[in-house]
Amino acid sequence: MEESVASEGLEFKWGKKKGVGGKKKDVQFYESFTYDGDEYRLYDCVLVGNASEPDSTEPFIGMIIKIWEHANKHIPKKVKLLWFFKPSEIAPYLEGVPNVLANEVFLASGEGLGLANTNQLEAIGGKCSVLCISKDKRNPQPSDEKFNSADFVFCRAFDVGSCKVVDTIDDKIAGVDVKFIFNRACSEKEATAVQNIEADVNGKSDSLKPNGPLARGASGSVRKIEDSAFESSDCKENSNGCKEEKEKGHYQLAIKKSTLAEERSNKDSGSRGNHYNGKDQESEVKKQLTKQKSMPGEERYSNSFEASGSRTIHSISKKAQENDVKKQLTKQKSMPTGERYSQESSGLDDRPLKKQKLDGSVTVRDGWDTTILQNITSDGKKDTGSFKRPRDKVTIEEVPPEKRSFVKNRDLVVSVSEGKTTKTVTEKGISKKPSFGRAEDKMSADDNERNYQVTEVCRRPDAGKSKWFRSLPWEESMREAEKKGTLVLLQNLDPTYTSDEVEDIVYSALNQQCEARMIERTSVTIPHIGEALVIFKTREVAERVIRRLDEGCLLLSSGRPLVASFAKITPPGKPSLFSGHIKLHKTQTRREMRDAVATSHSSQPNNLEFDMAMEWCLHQARHEQASESVSKRQLEEMKSLRINFKLKLP
Amino acid sequence: MATPEEVAYEKFLERVRRTVYIDELTPLATAPVISSAFNQFGTVKKVSFIPNYLGPKELPMGVLVEMENEEMTQAVISTVSQLPFMVAGMPRPVRACAAEPNMFVDKPKKPGRTVRFRWIKPNDPDFDKARRVKRLARKHSAENSFMLKKQLEEAEKLSKQQAETAVTHHKKFEMMDKLLYDGVAQKLAGRYDLKGFPYR
Repeated sequence: MEESVASEGLEFKWGKKKGVGGKKKDVQFYESFTYDGDEYRLYDCVLVGNASEPDSTEPFIGMIIKIWEHANKHIPKKVKLLWFFKPSEIAPYLEGVPNVLANEVFLASGEGLGLANTNQLEAIGGKCSVLCISKDKRNPQPSDEKFNSADFVFCRAFDVGSCKVVDTIDDKIAGVDVKFIFNRACSEKEATAVQNIEADVNGKSDSLKPNGPLARGASGSVRKIEDSAFESSDCKENSNGCKEEKEKGHYQLAIKKSTLAEERSNKDSGSRGNHYNGKDQESEVKKQLTKQKSMPGEERYSNSFEASGSRTIHSISKKAQENDVKKQLTKQKSMPTGERYSQESSGLDDRPLKKQKLDGSVTVRDGWDTTILQNITSDGKKDTGSFKRPRDKVTIEEVPPEKRSFVKNRDLVVSVSEGKTTKTVTEKGISKKPSFGRAEDKMSADDNERNYQVTEVCRRPDAGKSKWFRSLPWEESMREAEKKGTLVLLQNLDPTYTSDEVEDIVYSALNQQCEARMIERTSVTIPHIGEALVIFKTREVAERVIRRLDEGCLLLSSGRPLVASFAKITPPGKPSLFSGHIKLHKTQTRREMRDAVATSHSSQPNNLEFDMAMEWCLHQARHEQASESVSKRQLEEMKSLRINFKLKLP
Repeated sequence: MATPEEVAYEKFLERVRRTVYIDELTPLATAPVISSAFNQFGTVKKVSFIPNYLGPKELPMGVLVEMENEEMTQAVISTVSQLPFMVAGMPRPVRACAAEPNMFVDKPKKPGRTVRFRWIKPNDPDFDKARRVKRLARKHSAENSFMLKKQLEEAEKLSKQQAETAVTHHKKFEMMDKLLYDGVAQKLAGRYDLKGFPYR
């Protein structure tokens, strides 16, 4: 413990004196003091570290309501702090409490344990700003900018006696007149100087705070594990990134990340031996760096993802996760893929040399650039003239062998070359699909002619439902269908569709009878994409449907084109072991324990089982967080490519 | 006046409000086990499993548990969120949250909505957009399945680690028990002259 006279340690200076007290008049009260460079006054809000977890990154928030020092210099200086509760600290009492903001805290009020504490002055870890946004008449209402710049806000109190959240604030709390607790009427210099670490930590913890499943005691340990786990695994770079951002600003951070990402992507492409794409990416990265603020990490991910095959997906997607989390934390505006393309295209325009090269080279690389060029036109860079490049050179023979594999999820490169083909067709001025010499394609082309208008999905005739579908329950018929190859997976549906609607859609749009089942939303499905399994009558029908949906774009009223592929089902049968359930040997457990295990119970915090359960909770929470951030990003990507459903009248 | 469709939809929504979605359940759990587990919170009206057709085999199971009324549902969710609740095995706890309409496979159609569609012409500028969206959708589902795989791997690791520590703990406790039981501890206490050794 540091001595009062701080010759060593952090600098300290008393401010204004307030009065004397104590039995022997040996206690001196103060109104303010300066500690470690910051001035603290009465009724300022401070952060205090958690004594039971010295490494915890979640400090407590308190308001100084008394400061004093004993005449006897060996007794340390003390402050009395009136506490604010964070939502995580009073989680069980927050049931039914509406509208808890992300940085909202609750003022302690009432009588009892936990209202206020006396601490040594040196325990103070820093200042923070707590704004009162209560609509109480006694409270001067804060301006919007104060609201946005405040570290924390509060408008409600938590009564420690009755352990309830109360909306009204009493006149006196802990002997302190409430006018000191509300915002000061005079505009004082905003005490928003929070230490760097606090800012990082708060930013991180606010976005990563798990809604702890915990009793108050355990909440601390989970938080600690969670934060330390995060620290060690994915987010080490993030904390560095955070600090950097605060200190240096956008550009440098972007550059640092992009160089990191560039190295990574180069490594990856190198490992694949596909030097073309690597070089392309490199040049694009440079373009980005010279151009503007971007989230190169994100696009590196998508670039490299598209270029590499399944094997490298592992490392890259892991980075994607990292990048996702990075994105969240640094709170930069990310470049939606659409924008990126347009920038790339503008970059390309500046380099006519490259265009020249493209004339007449037909390689995978070319296919890559085709996408960019396509986007040039679509982004309104007009000049369909510029598009009259000798694409005719593109050989169609290349495409059919590749087409076979388009059903696989990961062959995105192929779909690029597919796009290439379609463009060729466009040029030739045909609105029909390229015919691969098959009769039914001609028919489908006619269909297309008819259906370019907006059509409503009509209920398919019931008579169409053939008897032999009905007889088997879905599960069996599905497995049958998979064996026969008639099972198709439709993706990118609106998740609120029903199975019947899906059947109707297939009937109206593709003129096929089918039986469909929507896949339910679970914690592992993508929330914004609906999927359905559809059984067709024969394999040829299924293939035809898939091909049609791939070549053309069937746009549904939700603004999403349908994606179809052959479905692969997990084989039936349950796994014999469930990871996470420990089976102790029979001799190792007593009879009651065995019975308990066979049924269900809630674990109490006083045993090993609880600790292990906490580890699982942590695992679950981590994954929930990761999924959330991934789906957020995905949603943004989707949104940026929203298609207007209504036909634009020419 | 509500059309029969709307009435049916309302009834469905009401059912949704009464249902809890339980996750991270062992695939070995059966319906009676689950209903007896949640009968502690109130009356369970129906237990329906969510089949796992597309995910990996080791994925924990999801279940929809329909309770008698909404308060019971709330009770389940809050208790399971605060204390780890284990069903048919430990120590991996289950996870609970309120059910959503999209979780039900037999949900009725949303009234008043008609699905419309149109094919996009290949020379329409939207065609490329649509292409990209399709590609994006595929990409997203690939990302998702990858994440799932990672999650399962980590779960596997964690459970192995826990199994080991469980065995070690058990051995330790056994040893302590044995010492106390066969008098070794007592003799030692006598040797070291420990006054007030309790386990006499």
